[in-house]
Amino acid sequence: MKVAYKHLVSHIPSKPGIFDISEKFFQLGHEHEIINGDIYDIELTPNRGDCLSIKGLLRDLAVFYEVNPDFEIYKNDLNPLKINFTNKAPNACPHISFCKIDLEGDIEPYKGELKNYFDDMEVNKINFFTDISNYISYETGQPTHCYDARKIKNNLSLDISSLEHEFETLIDKKIKLSGENLVFVEKDGTVINLAGIMGSMNTSCTSDTKSVIIECAYFNPEIIIGKSVKYDINSDAAYKFERGVDPLCHEKVLRRFIKIVNDHSKIKNIEIFKKDYSDFKPNSIPLDETRLNDILGTSLSKNQLREYLLKLGFDIRDSFALTPSYRSDIKTENDIAEEIARIIGYDNIQAQPLKIQKEAIVNYDSKHHEELIKNFLINNGFFEVISNPFVNSERENSIKIDNPLDSKRKYLRTDLQESLVESLLYNEKRQKDSVKLFEIAEVYYSSDGIKNNKKLGIICSGRLGRNYKDFSKKINQNYLIDMLKGLSNKINFKPLIISRDNLNSKIKSQIIYLEIELDDLKDHQLNHKFKNNKNLSRDNFLKYKQISNYPSSTRDLSFSIKDIDRYYELQNHILSFKHELLKEIFIFDFFVNKKNNEIKLGIRFIFQSKKSTITDQEVNKLMDKIIKSSLVIESVTIPGL
Amino acid sequence: MSSFNDIKPPLLNDEIGSLHPINQVKDFLLNVLKGFGFNEVDGPEIESERFNFDMLNIKKSHPARQMHDTFYIQNKSNVLRTHTSPVQIRSMLNTNPPLAFTSAGKVYRKDDDATHLPMFHQVEGIYLDKSVNFAQLKDLIHKIIYEIFGKEVQIRFRPSYFPFTEPSAEVDILSENGKWLEILGCGIVNPIVIENCNIDSSKYKGLAFGLGVERIAMLKHEVNDIRDFYKSNLDFLNQFK
Repeated sequence: MKVAYKHLVSHIPSKPGIFDISEKFFQLGHEHEIINGDIYDIELTPNRGDCLSIKGLLRDLAVFYEVNPDFEIYKNDLNPLKINFTNKAPNACPHISFCKIDLEGDIEPYKGELKNYFDDMEVNKINFFTDISNYISYETGQPTHCYDARKIKNNLSLDISSLEHEFETLIDKKIKLSGENLVFVEKDGTVINLAGIMGSMNTSCTSDTKSVIIECAYFNPEIIIGKSVKYDINSDAAYKFERGVDPLCHEKVLRRFIKIVNDHSKIKNIEIFKKDYSDFKPNSIPLDETRLNDILGTSLSKNQLREYLLKLGFDIRDSFALTPSYRSDIKTENDIAEEIARIIGYDNIQAQPLKIQKEAIVNYDSKHHEELIKNFLINNGFFEVISNPFVNSERENSIKIDNPLDSKRKYLRTDLQESLVESLLYNEKRQKDSVKLFEIAEVYYSSDGIKNNKKLGIICSGRLGRNYKDFSKKINQNYLIDMLKGLSNKINFKPLIISRDNLNSKIKSQIIYLEIELDDLKDHQLNHKFKNNKNLSRDNFLKYKQISNYPSSTRDLSFSIKDIDRYYELQNHILSFKHELLKEIFIFDFFVNKKNNEIKLGIRFIFQSKKSTITDQEVNKLMDKIIKSSLVIESVTIPGL
Repeated sequence: MSSFNDIKPPLLNDEIGSLHPINQVKDFLLNVLKGFGFNEVDGPEIESERFNFDMLNIKKSHPARQMHDTFYIQNKSNVLRTHTSPVQIRSMLNTNPPLAFTSAGKVYRKDDDATHLPMFHQVEGIYLDKSVNFAQLKDLIHKIIYEIFGKEVQIRFRPSYFPFTEPSAEVDILSENGKWLEILGCGIVNPIVIENCNIDSSKYKGLAFGLGVERIAMLKHEVNDIRDFYKSNLDFLNQFK
């Protein structure tokens, strides 16, 4: 909710500053930002619908400041409105009022609070009555709906309808009502208002409207919730009704409405209809200082508690706190305790040492097997990935998501293969020539109910490693089988080769994949020798360096060294070469030719820029520098150069 | 002069992989909490509405239960858990207090944009005993935050709203650039939730808290884009060895 500082402070005689009020809002739990210099953009918690207005916020600020939360209202007597209205859904709408106003004069330019609202909040004007309705909602928190009195028949009912109606909202949006909806209908069955959400185009006010019927209602949040999202209607009224409005505010709100109308035009006639279908009963909560102090860890006196609650508009009778009509969220002692804590300030409650009793500490199975497997794979060069469980493809026993993010993510995966293949291809597309990944995750499937099991998926492809021993070897099934013997030589692991035929991949390397249910491993003795290489502690979190999104460029050099002592010098020289564009260097070939007294050293250089695609010119410049400085070393040559 | 027989081959690259950074941070948080006496309990990612919402006092009208916030499956028969709290509910139903549990793992919400993911990770804790109050909750939260961010960090408690805790709070820390950053949510367990687990709320009170693992990982590792964690990019993962 956006609210202007000046609209609040004009009701606080002590005139606190914008940041003073901001601080108080934080203490009260109203998280916000200050935007455009003097507007609070407040994110109210869903239980505080009562604060979605100037008046509501002032009621909360009244615990810190003396405030004048009342606005001028029309005080003259009002004639009864004879309207043929039937409420067929009194549970959904237990309180409703209508007010008919007929104008006889022209409408003057906006002044006072109405003018300030449109000037300060940069809200678009629509027409006189709708503008007042919008302002009233901002000021009081109570949405009202204005019908052009000429456009509705004097025979109206409110009902929960399951019929499919075409409905054109006042913002010119056509929707098809489906399921149960609370609607205002005319005698002929025409829907003129999707209650609490938005009225119809046909009955809405225009700039010509001189006779208006204002509807002011309390709708049960349960009947409103979800409707604005369902019909994709952005409705301030729905937002407020969903969070609960004050059921007892109607007369004041309508009198305030009339006052603003009266300030801008000559009124010929005013009539009012008010009907309550059930009595409002405030929640009555015991005010027991021992129990409240026990919840908070404070030692407040009963008088202090009373004083705090009175400031928030509670009524105290005997030893009970009675909630004000606008605080439907307060139901229990714990709710009262929170109110007290908000007023004191959470930060002003002194912390007390907590020691968890030994009897509460129970040791559970520590997922020992899973840790051993992870450590083993990590020590063998595999990286753990975590993938979304949402997949496009349906299997025989897939679980379908009723409301998927999109049509490509409408099933839960029943295995890890699709996600791991996707991760592998993602890296291959980023020029990774050796990819080794694994994932451990629960998968869910339908089989006489919902079943789950925890699976391990391992996928690998490309070069065996990035060193002179493994560089020229390619990953195959035997590699994975042999490697996993290190985990357990009693289990017969059977990895698969995944065909690239349908993978949109031109790479030729075999994709090797293995999936195992963790339960299948639980009875086997696994190798314990691989320890977790790393445990995070508070001070050893590495600072992440932004990775490049641009392609890399690779160059290889093959050196010949005749003088053995120079071999170490060359190796040190090359491997210590640093440049911001040089991402990686490794030795991919090492060969000692004793017959020719020669050492061959193959070195790969990978260049990449974080700012743009690296150019040949940039790479060549760096390679020249590397080559020249290497050839200075005695007996070092680059054959073919 | 050295002989060709003595030549030492180049050192082999230490080609180890790594645990996913989110799991590293999750394990770190669980270890911190274990130090205070909390032990981990496990539970399913597919939950009934009863355990995910009803038992936690999340009413049918609560916005979180709407189709636009929660993933429903198989004709609304179940949901993908929106928090790890149902794991605690299941454990409370099977254990007599005093009790101290943590639950950790994947949770799902129907969000997918630059700052929200449909799947993320939580670590939550609950402690039930005869005498537990908000002032003690503050003490525990201070200690947890000091363990994560160091004792120099400034902490702020703000009132908030969770149906399963009352009073509820959100806790912020002051960042180096002077902005308050939300770190965790916590509160005194709503007695309705305690009663729902067949525990006498007039005898036992509880405190509970929940941390977003990605949030902590982003702050501690200085990762700016939450989506980076789930791209499986080896250049990214390689930094968390």
